[in-house]
Amino acid sequence: MMRPQESHLSDRDLLLAADGELSAPECERVESHLAACWTCRTRKHEIEAAIGDFVRMDRHKLDGQIPPPEGPRALLKARMAQLAETQAASLYSRGLDWFRTISWRLSLAMLGTVCVLAALAYFISQAYFIPHIRDERQAERIVAVSTPDPSLTPGAIVLVSRGEVCSASVANNKTVSVALQRKVFGEYGIKSAAPSAYEVDYLITPALGGADDIRNLWPQSNRATVWNAQVKDVLEERLRDLVCDGKLDLATAQRDMATNWIQAYKKYFHTNRPLSTFR
Amino acid sequence: MTGLPAESNTLVAVPATHADQAHRLSAVEQEVVELFDQLRDRLLRYVLGFSLALPDSEDIIQETFLALFQHLRRGKSRQHLRGWLFRVAHNLALKHRRNQRSTNHVHGAIMAAEHLIACPAPNPEDQFVTSQTQQRVMAVMQALPEQNRWCLYLRAEGLRYREIAEILDMSLGSVSVCLERSLAQIARAAER
Repeated sequence: MMRPQESHLSDRDLLLAADGELSAPECERVESHLAACWTCRTRKHEIEAAIGDFVRMDRHKLDGQIPPPEGPRALLKARMAQLAETQAASLYSRGLDWFRTISWRLSLAMLGTVCVLAALAYFISQAYFIPHIRDERQAERIVAVSTPDPSLTPGAIVLVSRGEVCSASVANNKTVSVALQRKVFGEYGIKSAAPSAYEVDYLITPALGGADDIRNLWPQSNRATVWNAQVKDVLEERLRDLVCDGKLDLATAQRDMATNWIQAYKKYFHTNRPLSTFR
Repeated sequence: MTGLPAESNTLVAVPATHADQAHRLSAVEQEVVELFDQLRDRLLRYVLGFSLALPDSEDIIQETFLALFQHLRRGKSRQHLRGWLFRVAHNLALKHRRNQRSTNHVHGAIMAAEHLIACPAPNPEDQFVTSQTQQRVMAVMQALPEQNRWCLYLRAEGLRYREIAEILDMSLGSVSVCLERSLAQIARAAER
């Protein structure tokens, strides 16, 4: 934009003044000029009209697309809670702080020593331990999974209302495709397992708005642990009933499932153990 | 499999008070949620301006606020958090779009998506854009350099020039030049 005359205000001055970006003396100069100059006043209105045109176009184009915040807010709360829990359990940050308190030279020396010792321990274990024993231990560790790894399965939801959840005629979980199941097993490092050993389960059931997404799926053990897939199914039914009876809001149900379904079971069934039928 | 929960019997042994604590939002979490309520729509509108799909944009907003959560938990500065959030969302959106482009390069899917945005087919969201002025303004917006578009979007979301300069890593003077030139083009389009 060209300045109409040298004596007039520039478009930039007019814009900066309109946006409150000028210093007090500059602002005063612009205001006194505008009070006396029809040309600059007209130009100022034209700039503001252009801003109005842009804002109207921008709002109209996008506002219809912005979904309500309740679902994303609940998901954010759940993910923060998981993150806090995971980090509290980790000694990593404490170790880091400890390292910061001593000199970097000492840290480096100690780190080197730890690495050498770790490498030695690894080679010794490789040489002397029987591989199948290690495999069995690994299997035991995997089979014991009752809740998902929050970094792999934080939970994911689709944006649905309570009405949509409750009006769905089939409340059962959808079948997870074989390809997706393989992907879930792969993420959890399960290379081979009997088909009956695991159920790839939704963390937040689709009957409560859970998404058909890998972030919402994990391999739940079918071994007769205390907290198994059947126990979780009962909780899912209970939560859906509470939501549809208007006794619990959908976002809270989703958040509780995503945060820790076992704690949610204890909370909604007022018990520290699953109902005896499923033990 | 590191980081997996302990065995089931260990889970049962969690003290009763722990469950209550898990449900009680910490002060930092509350602060993040308050900022989410204030700024989520603005950030989402801004990220959608990167021609990203709504679910991807929602994911970016989630990542942005989780980054804020980590930032505050580490006791870092609480000054200029609004600008900080926009800067993180901007960088995540750019990164996401770059990855998307490289993934879809062969199939040209991104080109098709951009074409759809540039020439939107009549749909419920866009049908109201009936006035010729709005269509001309939209055409001008599509033709603007990306930096200018970002300046306009950020200013429209209420950010000050200094914040815009920090988010886009440009000088204060360049921000006012971008805005001035973009508005001049919009004004010319609206006059026609």
